[in-house]
Amino acid sequence: MRSDGDLLALTATGDTAAFSALYDRVAPWVFGLVRRILRNPAQSEEVTQEVMIDVWRTATRYDANRGSAHSWILTIAHRRAVDRVRSEQASADRTDLAGARSVEVDFDQVADTVSTRLEAEQVRRCLGSLSELQRESIELAYYNGYTYPEVAQQLGAKLPTIKARMRDGLIRLRDCLGTTEGQRS
Amino acid sequence: MTDPDVHTLTGPYVLDALPEDERVRFEAHLTECTFCTTEVTELRQAAVKLATQVSTPPPPGLKANVMAAIEDVRQLPPQVPAAGSTPKAQRFTRRSVLTLAAAALAVAAAGGVAVDQYQDRSAAERANQQMAAVLAQPDARTVHGTVEGGGQATVVLSTKADKSVVVLRDLPKLPKDHTWQLWMMDPTNKATSIGLSTGDTTQVVNGSTTGMATFGLTIEPDGGSRTPTLPAAALVPLT
Repeated sequence: MRSDGDLLALTATGDTAAFSALYDRVAPWVFGLVRRILRNPAQSEEVTQEVMIDVWRTATRYDANRGSAHSWILTIAHRRAVDRVRSEQASADRTDLAGARSVEVDFDQVADTVSTRLEAEQVRRCLGSLSELQRESIELAYYNGYTYPEVAQQLGAKLPTIKARMRDGLIRLRDCLGTTEGQRS
Repeated sequence: MTDPDVHTLTGPYVLDALPEDERVRFEAHLTECTFCTTEVTELRQAAVKLATQVSTPPPPGLKANVMAAIEDVRQLPPQVPAAGSTPKAQRFTRRSVLTLAAAALAVAAAGGVAVDQYQDRSAAERANQQMAAVLAQPDARTVHGTVEGGGQATVVLSTKADKSVVVLRDLPKLPKDHTWQLWMMDPTNKATSIGLSTGDTTQVVNGSTTGMATFGLTIEPDGGSRTPTLPAAALVPLT
């Protein structure tokens, strides 16, 4: 079976069949993440579509030395979704949204594949090994699209503390997951 | 007043949690900080695993839309490295230099410093490269001091690289036939001159930091002095 990295490399040559296979592989991750951040189904579809078109358009710029294909695509997805949140916040009342969102993750929505389940289980276990402040800081930023000052506000903690907890939480997560380059590329 | 270590920003950066202005500054820093770039790549690989928790099948119609849309989307041409490509530090564009200058100065001065204080482009580039090289060190830190009569002295230093960069700005006018002189002092206050400055614009001076405890700025007769004339205009502890 071709890896995400192989499919992305083929996509870069204009191979639409490879892109189609890549879509099947990564779209659930992209859509799930975007949906988690934006909540609104119509907006989530729109942004997912933008992300996938962006993957097609910029596939030639992917550099395998800077991380796996999977990581590259989800980075694009996360930033796009967060950009959408921030641009809307510029005009919306922030406090309503803050109250309406929860940090909880919808585990029952996890896509129904064995490897995904195993991986999700491992991530859940590793998240559990973080300190509460590390975990909450990371989750509020990653799943809710909060900036670190917003996270600090929400958690009633100082800015340098939150910055540091995000970093040392991610380091712990990295070590726990044994994340190595190339697993998916 | 000490700045938070810029290197801890890898965490919020990977989570897309930096406010826009800080993100721009940090990305400028990333172009020069190999340590940070490696950490960003590693932490990102961990962060994206968080998406496994929320994986959701997209609506069935979405794929057809995407496949139809890409028919009309031209792919970017691959990026070709410039022929006879030079080391990164020499490849700065005007824009990236300014971004970097803004980043370095913001780190150095912890506040807005107008980049247009630079009047000479080549001097600005040199200054930026020197600052960037020091800032790229994992142990880089900055110390600040106010100058008697007005203005600021900022020292960016790395013990590991044994380098420091001094940024002077908004200094008061010098008496006729006088110059600013910059010093590094050891714990016994033995001073070593690290250069002269007219103080007209932001200036950068390189100096070794081994065994040094304090940065000093004095006003001296033209041509400088062998020992500092006291009282000093500024004394900035390096720790």
